[in-house]
Amino acid sequence: MQLDFKHKPSGHCENGVVSNLLGFYGIDISEAMVFGLGSGLFFAHMPFIKMHDMAVTSFRPLPGAIFSRVVSLLGIKMKRYKFRDKEKSMGALDRVLLSGTPVGMLVGVYNLPYFPKEYRFHFNAHNICVIGKEGDIYTVSDPVVVDKCTLTYEELKTVRFAKGTYTPNGRMYHITDISHKRDINYEIIRKSILLNCSRMTKIPIPMFGVNGIRFLARRMKRWEKSMGKKKAALNLAQVIRMNEEIGTGGAGFRFIYAAFLQEASILMNIPELRRFSEEMTEAGDMWRDFSYNAARMFKKRDGDTISYEILSEKLMMIADKEELIFKNLEKLMKNAG
Amino acid sequence: MKINEVPQDGNILEKSGEVRDVCYAVDENGEYKQVISVGWEPKNEAISYAWSLIEEECESIKKDVKAGNKSPLAYHIHRNVMTPEILASYTGFTKREIKRWCKPKHFFKLDSEKLGKIAHVLKMDIEQLVSVD
Repeated sequence: MQLDFKHKPSGHCENGVVSNLLGFYGIDISEAMVFGLGSGLFFAHMPFIKMHDMAVTSFRPLPGAIFSRVVSLLGIKMKRYKFRDKEKSMGALDRVLLSGTPVGMLVGVYNLPYFPKEYRFHFNAHNICVIGKEGDIYTVSDPVVVDKCTLTYEELKTVRFAKGTYTPNGRMYHITDISHKRDINYEIIRKSILLNCSRMTKIPIPMFGVNGIRFLARRMKRWEKSMGKKKAALNLAQVIRMNEEIGTGGAGFRFIYAAFLQEASILMNIPELRRFSEEMTEAGDMWRDFSYNAARMFKKRDGDTISYEILSEKLMMIADKEELIFKNLEKLMKNAG
Repeated sequence: MKINEVPQDGNILEKSGEVRDVCYAVDENGEYKQVISVGWEPKNEAISYAWSLIEEECESIKKDVKAGNKSPLAYHIHRNVMTPEILASYTGFTKREIKRWCKPKHFFKLDSEKLGKIAHVLKMDIEQLVSVD
């Protein structure tokens, strides 16, 4: 059984799954629009959550947040599941799938056979969509893969019950009802932008939003002293990987958000949003410059002047830039209400 | 980022399968477009660096195993980027048991059923599990 599902690769796994899922129901909405409506741009540096014994740096809200937000804005009903029992989770998947419904799910990448070996860490917040089954082979639409791919029953079961930080526990979701669907309109986009502005500038805890970037910047300066050269560089490598990793990207997210602002500018008929899109592109370029310079730490030779102080300074500048963008964007959106 | 600036440094992605990066970049008119990339050098370096440290650590654990201070299990856990905790949750044993079996005197007393269970999770056979070569 194969669903008539159009697979489009995307920059970020959750946006991609949502955009492809909605496309199945004839709702044509770009990845960038999904990301923007889901208020998906975020930053968090959380030393109290560890992955591979290192602080987690994240460039997006919790997995699933974008999907929930977009479907509720569009008046679409969905159902989510979480399981203890592995076999039950596979049975539930089969029942929904055989009823002709594509099923999105959270998986760990460590045991994903089509992932390059180098990418297989215990990262458990990857989204894929199951869109067919022949015998015990499932057809899968994974947004980071160019074409549709396949997983066996056992393989899928293993990745749905991956272990480590933030275990997926067989989490899956699907759309149940689109009869009350609303079209994307001015007000929906305006609210989503406002929510993203507030997430990036107003959370009163230092670990999130632009303050989170500053928090990381301040801690980074002390890394070499507090954990030694090797561990410090490893932590830096972790930040770059979270920043640039397929399907999770950080600099990439700035560019996706910029693409969203461009689309929004046309839909809302606010030409000024295009200028914000350009500003956001600049922020993305600054993140790329940060990654580029951070990578110099790994093969640092005598004479190379790169240091954690310089990298920290770069992060501070990114934080200032993004704070300014979001504060002005908030003003613009408030006045446009 | 402009379309012609999208990096195509295919060290890791190009040689394995169909996983790719989708990047967003602006064309000559400033319009955003999707561009498929095979990777970017700084990221490839970050990944290689993380792996090189894992290799290094594995070599040092290997020496401990040969000196009789650690069991081959300690080595395989690290080689698979695992921790005793993650292996425990995959196998169903407790973290304490796994940690105990990282010591040779407990590890070499394990029966083949338990060894088989661990070997299955680590995707190797028992002969490989009990050696570090």
